[in-house]
Amino acid sequence: MTTELDSSTGIELAASLVDVSKSYKHFKLRNIDFSVQRGTVAGLIGPNGAGKSTTMRILMGLVQPDSGTVSALGKPISSSEAAAKQDIGYFSDDMRLYKPESIGWHMQFVRSLYPTWDDAYATQLLDRFGLISQQIVKGLSHGQRVKAMLLLILARRPKLLILDEPTNGLDPVAKHEILTELMRVVEDDSRTILYSSHNTQDVEQISDSITFIDRGQVIASSNRDEFLESWKRVRLHAPEAWKLPIVQGLRLESSHRNLHVLSCSQFHDRIPVELQESGVVIEAIESMTLEEIFVSSVMRGREGSQS
Amino acid sequence: MNLQAIRILFLKDLFLSRRQLFAYFTAGLAASGLVCVPNATLTFVGFLLVITVAIAAGIHLIGTLMLAETTDQTKLFVMSLPISLLEYSIGKISVVLTTYLIPWTSMFACLVIATFVLGKQGSVAVLPAIFFFLLCGFMLQMVTAVVTESVGWTICVMVGCNVCLNVLLMKLFADAEVAEVVKSDVLTWPNLVLQIVGVELLIIVVALVTAFLFQTRKRDLV
Repeated sequence: MTTELDSSTGIELAASLVDVSKSYKHFKLRNIDFSVQRGTVAGLIGPNGAGKSTTMRILMGLVQPDSGTVSALGKPISSSEAAAKQDIGYFSDDMRLYKPESIGWHMQFVRSLYPTWDDAYATQLLDRFGLISQQIVKGLSHGQRVKAMLLLILARRPKLLILDEPTNGLDPVAKHEILTELMRVVEDDSRTILYSSHNTQDVEQISDSITFIDRGQVIASSNRDEFLESWKRVRLHAPEAWKLPIVQGLRLESSHRNLHVLSCSQFHDRIPVELQESGVVIEAIESMTLEEIFVSSVMRGREGSQS
Repeated sequence: MNLQAIRILFLKDLFLSRRQLFAYFTAGLAASGLVCVPNATLTFVGFLLVITVAIAAGIHLIGTLMLAETTDQTKLFVMSLPISLLEYSIGKISVVLTTYLIPWTSMFACLVIATFVLGKQGSVAVLPAIFFFLLCGFMLQMVTAVVTESVGWTICVMVGCNVCLNVLLMKLFADAEVAEVVKSDVLTWPNLVLQIVGVELLIIVVALVTAFLFQTRKRDLV
């Protein structure tokens, strides 16, 4: 396998998009830049219609970008090239299997295209997911259908998994089963997962790095722990005429009389000092959940694009 | 180009269309059999059924094998596999064509054999014009399905082809030379039939090339 290295850090990459743009009639994906390190789980979070699926389809070679370069597992990706897809497993919530046929028929079909298909692992997955090979796809529940598709992807042992909203609409048990299986997959250091969702809890649970996307643009991208450490919420009492000091990363989230809630995207020790110097009394400095960070990032991005 | 992948895709679609294929093959043979019954009414009904089966098979197979893959979202599943657009296009166009040609050929062959057995060799002269027109209509519907991926537009083309078929039959049987040959026991080829078949073959080739070019030049696979 050819490897691609990050030009600044020298870290091995499993996938990268450089300055990728794609225009549709009512939607534009603009200058998408992000990469996924080999052996990690990368989360792509965005609201509905943010461009997650388009980004993933471009990475899979299903959609051709208007500009920019795309590569996965060291190979350039294009719609005319099938070889690059050999080691990539792609799941989309929009994907469907052939309704009149059984899970077993689909397993045979996919197996015929993949020399790496692992029969023993496929049988294990059938058992773990509570599926029966003879089950007809038409009769499967949503959860069973998602599990069947993941089985078809995982049993071919792909090096890179591109999963577009795999836990969407699943009950907590099915979601747990799938996330547990994905964690098993990344126990193998050579395998990488790019996982998209609008549900931040799922992404937070398994991701090493996180990228936020909104309205066709990447608005933030970082290591999960860095995100959680650098973002803080500050509750404070301020005098009536108080004005928010200009500090980078500081945003007023809500106000009720003289009680204000701020979010800070680059928290450091000087920030409480500067706030107190502006005449406020700090009540609490709290950690933020990934969901809160995501919502705040989206709102900041939208305010920025409007101003 | 991965021939093994094309073969797998071809067999997959052939398997998925097995029920329709069997139904149209059987219906085609039954309709052709009816044409051979020595009763003018039943022969006429049989002939209408042959045309109906050919038209229904075409639109049904295009719908099931081509358009349904987009509407049922199974295309996303297939295109996520290690298959290039070229391989997908060759597999798809060849299987749609093959599945249509099975009932088409069987009906055509049955009618040719029947007219010879019944001693009405002259009637054979009109069969190529009619059958190649049906194939022509099918090819135009297939091109429409490939280009537009729309059920509505494909049905529009089918309706247009059906109207043209009536015009063709009217013109064909109104021609004095054709009428004379049909009544005769000896097979000869009227000029009008040869001209019509020539145009039909040209349209079939152009349609096939157009379908293939459009399919392989698509930038977005889903």
